[in-house]
Amino acid sequence: MSSTDTLPLPLPHSRNLAARSLRWRQAVLARLRDSALALLLPAAIVLLWHLAARHGWVAAQILPAPEQVALTLFELWDSGELWANLSISLGRVAWGFSAALLIGTALGVAMGLSKTAEAYLYPSFKALSEIPVLGWIPLLIMLVGIGEAMKILIIAKAAAVPITINTQQGIRNIPANFLEVARVYRFTPRQLWLKVVFPASLPSLFNGLRYGLTNAWLSLVTVELLASSEGIGYQMVWGRQLFQLDVVMACMVVIGLVGLAIDRLLQLAETFLLRWRRSAF
Amino acid sequence: MTDSKLRVRAVAKTYPGQDAPLQVLQDIHLDIRPGEFLSIVGSSGCGKSTLLRLIVGLENDYQGEILLDGQRITGTGLERGIVFQEHRLFPWLTVAQNVGLALENATLSEADKQRTIAEHLDLVGLRGFESAYPYQLSGGMSQRVAIARGLVNRPEVLLLDEPFGALDALTRATLQDELRRIWQAEGITMILVTHDVEEAVYLSDRVVVLEPRPGRIKRIVEVDLPQPRQRTDAAFVAIKDDVLSDFGQLPRPSLLPTSWPARSAADYLFAL
Ligand SMILES: Nc1ncnc2c1ncn2[C@@H]1O[C@H](COP(=O)(O)OP(=O)(O)O)[C@@H](O)[C@H]1O
Ligand SMILES: [Mg+2]
Repeated sequence: MSSTDTLPLPLPHSRNLAARSLRWRQAVLARLRDSALALLLPAAIVLLWHLAARHGWVAAQILPAPEQVALTLFELWDSGELWANLSISLGRVAWGFSAALLIGTALGVAMGLSKTAEAYLYPSFKALSEIPVLGWIPLLIMLVGIGEAMKILIIAKAAAVPITINTQQGIRNIPANFLEVARVYRFTPRQLWLKVVFPASLPSLFNGLRYGLTNAWLSLVTVELLASSEGIGYQMVWGRQLFQLDVVMACMVVIGLVGLAIDRLLQLAETFLLRWRRSAF
Repeated sequence: MTDSKLRVRAVAKTYPGQDAPLQVLQDIHLDIRPGEFLSIVGSSGCGKSTLLRLIVGLENDYQGEILLDGQRITGTGLERGIVFQEHRLFPWLTVAQNVGLALENATLSEADKQRTIAEHLDLVGLRGFESAYPYQLSGGMSQRVAIARGLVNRPEVLLLDEPFGALDALTRATLQDELRRIWQAEGITMILVTHDVEEAVYLSDRVVVLEPRPGRIKRIVEVDLPQPRQRTDAAFVAIKDDVLSDFGQLPRPSLLPTSWPARSAADYLFAL
């Protein structure tokens, strides 16, 4: 069966190598420019900070010089102290986030699929989720003590809220058109989930993961600041109690960078998994 | 017991509507022979897509009955396929994977599936696009993928909802011929909804003219011409003009001076 009488079509991907490499160069340049722009503001702040410390605009005990903070950061890392605390914190996030993934996905799927489930669950879910992390801590300490369980529950709650909401939205917003195609081809429930529901709601699921992980990290630091004897947040408290503000600031830098790294990693995964939306270049 | 492949008996369909219920179809009777090619023409909004949705089994709440081989249809079935008015490709699947959706529940080996997918992409002129994603395709190309998906599992009855509407004239003519060739070779019973009367007359054994609000059958025109047909044939043009006259857009003959050169109704198509 020939298709000689159809119009000649352009190839889907440009086979023109020169045009391709030019596009690549432009894309790389754009990336570099963006990175440079992203560094501009921190560089300006460090400079201002440096000048403030150097000229004694703020007392050295209150605002240590950036060089001092960098040195402290290096020492904390070198002694293994920083990693010891950081690994404990990351472990708590991992546990809390995993629990949130299970609970949030289950709740989101139930409320996304069934209006009845939504009617039962959503108001309670919404009311509980409106109570901020700080509000939960006293009750949880009474219920499960001040140990790991309390911290993991706090993190799980913080992450489960966006995961639930985005899962529900993702499933609710699957176009009916696609479900009809699945009906016409008599998809089994398994095929329906794997071939339609999961991929169709993946962009929304990813949003939930990103917000969930960000929330988990933020509330981890909060709970460690308030009620912990180890972890990166505790290290910060410890620095403050000894009035070692260089330690406090070193911890702040680490917390910020880890948060950024987590977000960037998820963004990369998202770009890769959702490449059907638009090509990156 | 019956020589009808598909039998539509006294079918009526009403949608709940915003304020008042909206009757979309009324008293539809059709007897479609095995292997027949039937076209449905009618102005937009007169219920053509709704009728196809009832036959394919996506809407089950209607009056009357629809029988396939004498059995009342319940829901969808692999023996009935449809090419929707919009292409409905899954954006997360490649072109080949989208066509493969129709074979998910087919009893073919994986190798046979890949082969027949490739054949059908060839058929619609999309060889080389197997691994492209829908966002990389034009509207016409997407529609051709949808046509390949509709054909690939060889349903006994294939419903086509304005499948060529978005295509350029050349591709449309090619696909019309391919569709006719497949129809003749495979004996698939086809129901084509179209707004192109020439297309309907070119392909069909019978053309059903619907009138709107509520959608009713105005009349059914037999096209008793041998296949393949010539669009310029006098007999062809006469049938086409006859169907077109149902749309009430043509000047009434009594108002035309008799000395005017005979025109084909196609000359008035621009006004439709
Ligand atoms: N799900 C629905 N709910 C309410 N009204 C509908 C629905 N689907 C179609 N209609 C109405 O039914 C009429 C016929 O629609 P349709 O079958 O799509 O017409 P056609 O395909 O002939 O253009 C239109 O007036 C449309 O607004
Ligand atoms: Mg329609």
